Amino acid sequence: MNIDHHDTFQRMIDESLAGVLSVEKEQSLRKHLSTCATCREYLSASNRVIAGLSGFSFEVNPTLNARVLTALRLQAEEGRGILARDTGTMRQHSVPFKNWAAFAVALSMSFVGSGLVYQMAERLAVPMHFVSAQVQAGVLVFWLLPSLCAALCLLAAPSENRGIA
Amino acid sequence: MESDTQRIALGLRQGDVVVLEALVEQYQYRLVRYLVSLLGRRDGVDDFVQETWLRVLERGGSYDGQSRFEPWLFRVARNIALDAMRKRPMFSLDSNEADGVRSSPASGEPSPYTLAARTQDAERLARSLQTLEPVYREALVLRFQEELSLQEISVIVGAPVSTVASRIYQGLATLRPQFEGDTA
Repeated sequence: MNIDHHDTFQRMIDESLAGVLSVEKEQSLRKHLSTCATCREYLSASNRVIAGLSGFSFEVNPTLNARVLTALRLQAEEGRGILARDTGTMRQHSVPFKNWAAFAVALSMSFVGSGLVYQMAERLAVPMHFVSAQVQAGVLVFWLLPSLCAALCLLAAPSENRGIA
Repeated sequence: MESDTQRIALGLRQGDVVVLEALVEQYQYRLVRYLVSLLGRRDGVDDFVQETWLRVLERGGSYDGQSRFEPWLFRVARNIALDAMRKRPMFSLDSNEADGVRSSPASGEPSPYTLAARTQDAERLARSLQTLEPVYREALVLRFQEELSLQEISVIVGAPVSTVASRIYQGLATLRPQFEGDTA
């Protein structure tokens, strides 16, 4: 039997041990092994390596588990502390009624202000040759939208910095 | 019905220390064994083990419970060990050495394999394993000690399955000659 032939089957032995050999090839390999002493020895040596790998028994430091568990508990406690702090922050961050009230006031002022500015702009539009649509767009872009954003910022800002007063 | 891995994933997401304690009990030995194989040394491994479990507590939410837990655990351990080897902080005891990180014991010091060999075949392998390149040793250990599939090993080491397979073949080829022509 030639060397190339052994090489092919020995490669199949490697693949079989690695767990990637197909069922068909596995059957072909078994058939070959029953008649080939060279490849049987190859398989036997490979199996000895694998058995040897299982023959090591590492000692685990007897205090390691306790040390790890203590570290885990400490970290978990710390984590819970952080979580509690975060929850507290979230609670602080949730929008209280007075801030909703402030937002409502800011919103009304925004609309009332926009109305006043619009009326004023309408009066100025004639001598300045602006059409009504331009005035409306100007009030919308330069007054209504910025003031709405400012009102919304009251809700988004941290509570300690929030409020109109 | 909820599987074991899903229960583990849920426990880790919730930072459940009881779940974590059970995992430590169950996987501690295998984690130590894997890290010794990866590093080729025993000292410093305990620090990596502790660091690994703390990382599991911290980032356990990223374990999805869809696959087995141990490949995920080994991957965490591997990342920690490799990061530390790059940064060297956990190897301060070896700072008198040129590179600060030893991947094998100092000369004269018995290798972890020599100390851990419990069978004749293991004794014969101990010396070769110590000198085997870590990537081959790691692939062999993950396949034949931890009994992981090539796909699982591929996830741990971040290399294609074909590369993992080549490492296994190469590792076996390096160690096999010790037993060839031996009828014992």
